[in-house]
Amino acid sequence: MVGELTWPRRLLGLWVPLAALFVFALFPFAWMAATSLKANAELYDPAANPMWIRHPSLVHYIDLFKETNFVLWIGNTMLVALVSTILSLLLGVMLAYPLARMRFPAAGLLAISVAVAYLVPQTLLFVPMADLINRMKLGDSLSAVMLTYPTLLVPFCAWLLIGYFKTVPRELEEAALIDGASRWRAMTRVILPLCTPGFLSAGIFAFTLAQNEFLYALLFLNTSTIRTVPVGVTGELIRGDAFYWGQLMAAALLGSLPVVLIYSFFVKYYVAGLTAGSVKG
Amino acid sequence: MARSDCFRGSTSRRDFLKLSVAGAAGATVGADWRLRTASAKPAQITFLRESSYVKEFDDYFKNVLIPRYQQDTGIKLVYEIVAAGGSAVPRLVSIVESKAPVDAGWVQQEWLYREALLDVSDIAEEVGKQQGGWYPEIKSLSVWGGKWKSVPFGNIGQTMVYRRDWFDAAGIHTFPDTWEEFLEAGTKLKKAGHPYGMSMGHGFADNNSWLLPLLWGFGGQVVAKDGKTITLDSAETARAVDYVRKLYKDACIDDCVGWLDPANNKAFLTSQISCTNNAMSILISAKRDLPDMGKVIDHALNPKGPKGRFHSLVPVTHGIFNHTPDPEAAKHFLRWLMDPKQVAAWYRSAFMYHAPFLHAYDRDPEWDKEPRFKPDQRVLETGKLVSWPAPADRKAGEVVNKWIVIDMFAKACTGVPTKAAIADAATGLKQIYG
Amino acid sequence: MSTNPVLEAARPAARAVPVRRAFQLREWLEREAVFSWLMLTPPLLFLLAFLGYPFCYGVYLSFVRRPVAQPATFVGLGNFVNLWSDSIFWQAVWNTFRFTGAATVLKLVGGLGMALVMHQNFRMKGVTRALLLLPFIVPTVLSTVAWQWILDPGMGMFNRILMYVGLVTQGPSWLGNPTLALVSVILVNTWRGLPFFGITILAGLQTIPTELMETATIDGAGSWQRFRYVTLPLLMPVIFIVTTFSIIFTFFDFQLVYVLTGGGPANATHLMATYAYSISMGGGQMGLGSAAALAMVPMLGLVLVAMSSYVRKA
Repeated sequence: MVGELTWPRRLLGLWVPLAALFVFALFPFAWMAATSLKANAELYDPAANPMWIRHPSLVHYIDLFKETNFVLWIGNTMLVALVSTILSLLLGVMLAYPLARMRFPAAGLLAISVAVAYLVPQTLLFVPMADLINRMKLGDSLSAVMLTYPTLLVPFCAWLLIGYFKTVPRELEEAALIDGASRWRAMTRVILPLCTPGFLSAGIFAFTLAQNEFLYALLFLNTSTIRTVPVGVTGELIRGDAFYWGQLMAAALLGSLPVVLIYSFFVKYYVAGLTAGSVKG
Repeated sequence: MARSDCFRGSTSRRDFLKLSVAGAAGATVGADWRLRTASAKPAQITFLRESSYVKEFDDYFKNVLIPRYQQDTGIKLVYEIVAAGGSAVPRLVSIVESKAPVDAGWVQQEWLYREALLDVSDIAEEVGKQQGGWYPEIKSLSVWGGKWKSVPFGNIGQTMVYRRDWFDAAGIHTFPDTWEEFLEAGTKLKKAGHPYGMSMGHGFADNNSWLLPLLWGFGGQVVAKDGKTITLDSAETARAVDYVRKLYKDACIDDCVGWLDPANNKAFLTSQISCTNNAMSILISAKRDLPDMGKVIDHALNPKGPKGRFHSLVPVTHGIFNHTPDPEAAKHFLRWLMDPKQVAAWYRSAFMYHAPFLHAYDRDPEWDKEPRFKPDQRVLETGKLVSWPAPADRKAGEVVNKWIVIDMFAKACTGVPTKAAIADAATGLKQIYG
Repeated sequence: MSTNPVLEAARPAARAVPVRRAFQLREWLEREAVFSWLMLTPPLLFLLAFLGYPFCYGVYLSFVRRPVAQPATFVGLGNFVNLWSDSIFWQAVWNTFRFTGAATVLKLVGGLGMALVMHQNFRMKGVTRALLLLPFIVPTVLSTVAWQWILDPGMGMFNRILMYVGLVTQGPSWLGNPTLALVSVILVNTWRGLPFFGITILAGLQTIPTELMETATIDGAGSWQRFRYVTLPLLMPVIFIVTTFSIIFTFFDFQLVYVLTGGGPANATHLMATYAYSISMGGGQMGLGSAAALAMVPMLGLVLVAMSSYVRKA
């Protein structure tokens, strides 16, 4: 941000709010980490401090790996999220580009119907969806979720991308066309690269939603070896009215941290401030 | 004492003989299958269950029963586990609706889809005859239109679970026998810093397991036996509601009005409450993780009211879906499963967490291993289905799943006058029953 | 060498014909409408098959009485009439609006603040951004389980801190008191969704050309004026999109409430999504449940229309 970066200003404007944000967002994870490293007896001890570990123990992590298919679940989750994201971004671009940049009959109507179709809750869809999947003989397979997740993700990706596509001025495209490029070339060589932050945003959130999804995974992933983390973990670590708290929290952390690592890598590539080639004045 | 011991011994010996004869018969059934043509066999049978609180129970199925079935019949058994706390029902409904390739399972909430279940009367009658007969109440769930639509398995006993040490310290040396005594004891205990934690939230078992027996004990009823007349609005119900309000204010921890099923386990194991209504899970968890606490936990039957002592059943029943490609194979499997050679050990692998609905197991030696589990067996004597006295049909299921009766009590505890709370519940009932 | 003058004359013309036809195809493909429709076809077909069909089936279900495993009987608007006189339904509607409204406002304001803070230069920016996304990344089912403990009356962090600081002798019942239960649910939803707002708005901030900010500063604008008259207007499209999406996501939220309170105590936190679910799965009434779920759509539509007309005016 442009402005004088004096010491008190930086403290108040950056470090204090940043610290507050960190505490707000991450204190539950501190608790989760502490819980995953405590034996049950200490977890239940009312005299113990929730955030402090008196006798750290890796028993929950060990049990998680030994007694459940956790590794498989993580693999499945990453695979499903990746494929769904790629599919959704592809379909999203194909949907968003014409609706954002082209003028053609029925564009407006289509945009609205895509938006309206998105106003459909999963609680309405899941039974007919299960019927459809079973008829296609895809029940109990990863393909089932890889096909159904884009229904949740494509409209959102398309929406987000429309927003980003709209920010790139028409003049750029027209200039490319005048220079002799085909529409396809103009799109892939000129416009799309400028919208990389948009792709990254849409991709990040599509990936996140995909690896977080529960209802379809519950219905379509029945065998333990092909389950994703949310369904696998709740299926085997919640038994009756007993929650295997330590293992659940270990699973939560181990499931999320790789994603965070991946994100921190991609987030680096956000283009901070588009200058070259963009509109000036 | 000696004579009754003898008697007990001879009864169990008699039962044992019965069981072993049945077992031998079962073994020949298995052998019979081999003689049928190989081409008539299905490739696999998929059996769906909610994951059991007792992991050993699921392990026993996977490690012992599946290989044994493979050996006996050459058919592969697949054991599908769904999470507890409500995940089984959408799975079951979607299986029924989309005719997914699942053959049989724990048919939770069978009142929703009985029409899609196979008639298993022959299996159920045979099993009942072989193993001491069925407890009559469970027939109200499994038998419909004269036909058995599911084969009962066991009841997850819900009893009062309490801290004997804290009760003793407060001068209460036997568990309260009536609801009035229960309230008195709770008042003393709350003052001593050890309140009760009686679940009244949107859970599935720990709320019904004491509120319904309480209502019945006071003489209140939800819907009459004819399944049509709404009888909730009565003086007895009002008395029950007033009692619960007082119990909440004087004896319970504030939080319990919003508790789902795992919450009372958590509160008990973290020493926040002295008593709750629950299955065996608290005691088993404590024995494993908090042995000192485990020594001072005990189980007791529900207190009795003016109209008697009641318990609420949490039945486990197994059924076969109509759309299974080979009904004969599925029925054979279920018959094999309920054969004493299989089912007796399977029951025991869960420490009788599912109290068998068959009288043959009433005095099974497994019950003697942990005397504190005996009340869970005795629940069967006074246990009623949640729909009681009305039939266990879809409407009764809707009442339970929309928490109409539970919310009536919960609302009373959070400030709504008794009359209004009952009226709200009655309106809800009218919507369901018409 | 056969020199047939007619053939000779015809050859260049023959050669010219195929070239012209190929050129026509490319030209046709370049037409804006054609290009657009060709691009749109695959995603539209996909959505029609996988979203359109289930949606239509769901709509059909809301006009019939359809108990599980039983055939359907047409009831017209019967299901909706049933819901109209259902007090639990209206409680769920009221809860959903309060829940969505409060959570969205909190997330928007918090997310905007987060984006502004993160837009500054500091080391480890990438890792920070990724870490702050954790509430959004972790599966809802699991983080909600953690919140059950955090909100526990005796063991939970909130009450431990409150008691330690001495504000209360005994912590409040976050999930037992009906009002606090709704507050808790809003809090957990805000916690989960705030990073989403933050990161998306941040990306939007980063597409604002720095020259514009420099020009504004040179023109004498202070940071608040820069924010209000330069930054905010340019951010509006992104804010609009992310808020709209969040409102939809929050309006339909199911998992969080289902795991934390099940809709209790006494329906204080029952949302339309959880109620529709309990009608379908608990009552086995697929028709009525679909009607309850479908009822969400026009309500949400009205909210969004109101929102976009307000934005359009501003």
